[in-house]
Amino acid sequence: MALLELNKVKKIYQQGKIKVPALRGVDLEIEEGEFATIFGPSGSGKTTLLNMIGCLDTPTEGEIRLNDKKVSDLSKKALAMIRRYNIGFVFQSYNLIPVLTAYENVEFAIRLTDHTSESQMKEKVLKMLAEVGLKGLESRRPNELSGGEKQRVAIARALVKEPKLILADEPTANLDSETAAGVVDIMRKMNKELNTTFIFSTHDPMVMKYANRYINLKDGMITADERRG
Amino acid sequence: MFSFKLGLKNLTRQKRRNALIILVIAFAFFGYLFMGSVMDGMEEMSFDNIKNYDTGNIQVAHPEYWEDRDKLPLENLIYLNQDMEESIKNMDGVLGVSPELRFKANLNNGIDEIAVMGLGISIEQYNEVFATKNYVVEGSMFAPGESKAVIGVSLAELMDLKVNDYITLLVRTKEDTFNTIDVEIAGLLRAPNPMINNGIVFVPLDIAQQALNVGNGVSLLALKTVSGDEDTIAKALTGSFKNKDMDLKAYSWKESAETIIALSTAKKSGAAVIMSVVLLIGMLGIINNVILSALERTEEIGMMKALGMREWEIVFVFMVEATGIGVLGGLAGCLIGYAGVSWLVKYGWGLGYIGGDGSEYGIPILDRIYGTWNYSAFSFIFILGVVVALLSSILPAYWAAKKDPVKAIYHR
Repeated sequence: MALLELNKVKKIYQQGKIKVPALRGVDLEIEEGEFATIFGPSGSGKTTLLNMIGCLDTPTEGEIRLNDKKVSDLSKKALAMIRRYNIGFVFQSYNLIPVLTAYENVEFAIRLTDHTSESQMKEKVLKMLAEVGLKGLESRRPNELSGGEKQRVAIARALVKEPKLILADEPTANLDSETAAGVVDIMRKMNKELNTTFIFSTHDPMVMKYANRYINLKDGMITADERRG
Repeated sequence: MFSFKLGLKNLTRQKRRNALIILVIAFAFFGYLFMGSVMDGMEEMSFDNIKNYDTGNIQVAHPEYWEDRDKLPLENLIYLNQDMEESIKNMDGVLGVSPELRFKANLNNGIDEIAVMGLGISIEQYNEVFATKNYVVEGSMFAPGESKAVIGVSLAELMDLKVNDYITLLVRTKEDTFNTIDVEIAGLLRAPNPMINNGIVFVPLDIAQQALNVGNGVSLLALKTVSGDEDTIAKALTGSFKNKDMDLKAYSWKESAETIIALSTAKKSGAAVIMSVVLLIGMLGIINNVILSALERTEEIGMMKALGMREWEIVFVFMVEATGIGVLGGLAGCLIGYAGVSWLVKYGWGLGYIGGDGSEYGIPILDRIYGTWNYSAFSFIFILGVVVALLSSILPAYWAAKKDPVKAIYHR
């Protein structure tokens, strides 16, 4: 059974009197543990597709199933609960809370889902930060971290609640190539170690090469879908 | 709990803007507490000055006289007899009785003339009821049997008079014929009630009665009673007059102070309106702050929604932040207010700043208003401030929390 299924998903945005189709009938299945990249030119619908998968937006037509549960017609409240327990996000601009330390930014995510003891929670957060290579930087605030370190905090924040699926929208776009490689390395490592499914969008061929599945999107339609390795 | 922590931590963002709103709230609170202390102090002093230097605790008069008392008529006077005086003196709670004859007069110093109120008093009885004698700054009060007068220092300065100078009071008798009272000034007064200093000439009662041809008539009887029981004693006195078929009525000092009470109430309402405006400014500051914060943190709100935070959880974060501003503003305001009220209670607020004594504004206070402590005002304003801050944040916080997550994340 696929972790994620999209059947004829369409998304049409209304801009004034004009209807702008962003997705034109996408069919897609993602298995658990995949490390998939969605690539394509700007405006091809990558972000819209990730938003649909991430339950941040609902399709105009078609059906989305996550863990065999239809999520495309759920209420906003129900979608928030799906995101809370099942999906992690990594954003291009990190979106860390500047007044919280690296530790607290990660703690923030786990507090929403995990109701275990303080000590267990602390252990989990510290372990996750260590996993992404931020041991010793826990008490730093985002303005005291480099771009790569910030993105690692964002990855730790997405992973700490142990979601089935992590979506990353251009996670390396703001990073230099060396740092970008480091960040993708970590994502790949976590994918292998925790069997967490990663779907990320990118323009960068160097980053793309880490993926084991390539989904090419053009004008809101999948034009190629290839598995490698 | 984490949302609470995040809300508190958010207080450290936009320090200048938050500090400005905290200052606005603090000064609004300070203004409220300071003005409240001034108003309460003014009221308390005004009432004390009315009781101690003008009306006593209770005044007994003919109801017809009472109606016209501002015109200082010589009609409807009380004709004293020993029985009447004794029965009033023996009432429970009555500590002293002072008969007064109030009349219109023109004070003449030989060159100029000015309209004043003449006050015929029986000095020993007057001293039992009023504390005026403690404020003689030059000379002394006249002794029983002396043909002397006492006037206020302001009146003396105005008419260029000194102790031992002679003055003439031009009066009209009950029959409307002219007469004069020629007396020597025994002393000058500077009492806390400016009305006494500016326009009253005290003369012995028997001299006034003789000059006005009113026999042993007096305008009213001023009574000193146990403080706080005025209404009960006045009621009992009126009842006893009725039983004895006497056309007299007892009036609590509050009835003489109606104008001051109305003025005080009007001033308090005015202060409340000003205060509401200042609180409204604070409220708008908080609403503005939440909206600006939400606009600045749009991507962050998007991230929170992506993490699965519910709308009320995001609202809670903003509410904690806004309430924190209210608490800090309230604490700062109460602290500044405490300092201001302490100063006011100790040193008072000189009326010289507003160009004169209180009588010019209808307040019976001479030169300085001392504040009073009203601790409940501190807790009231603090709680009100926090509640206003909390309530003001709800709508803008909901507006922020309702943002579409996609639009928020990508700042569209």
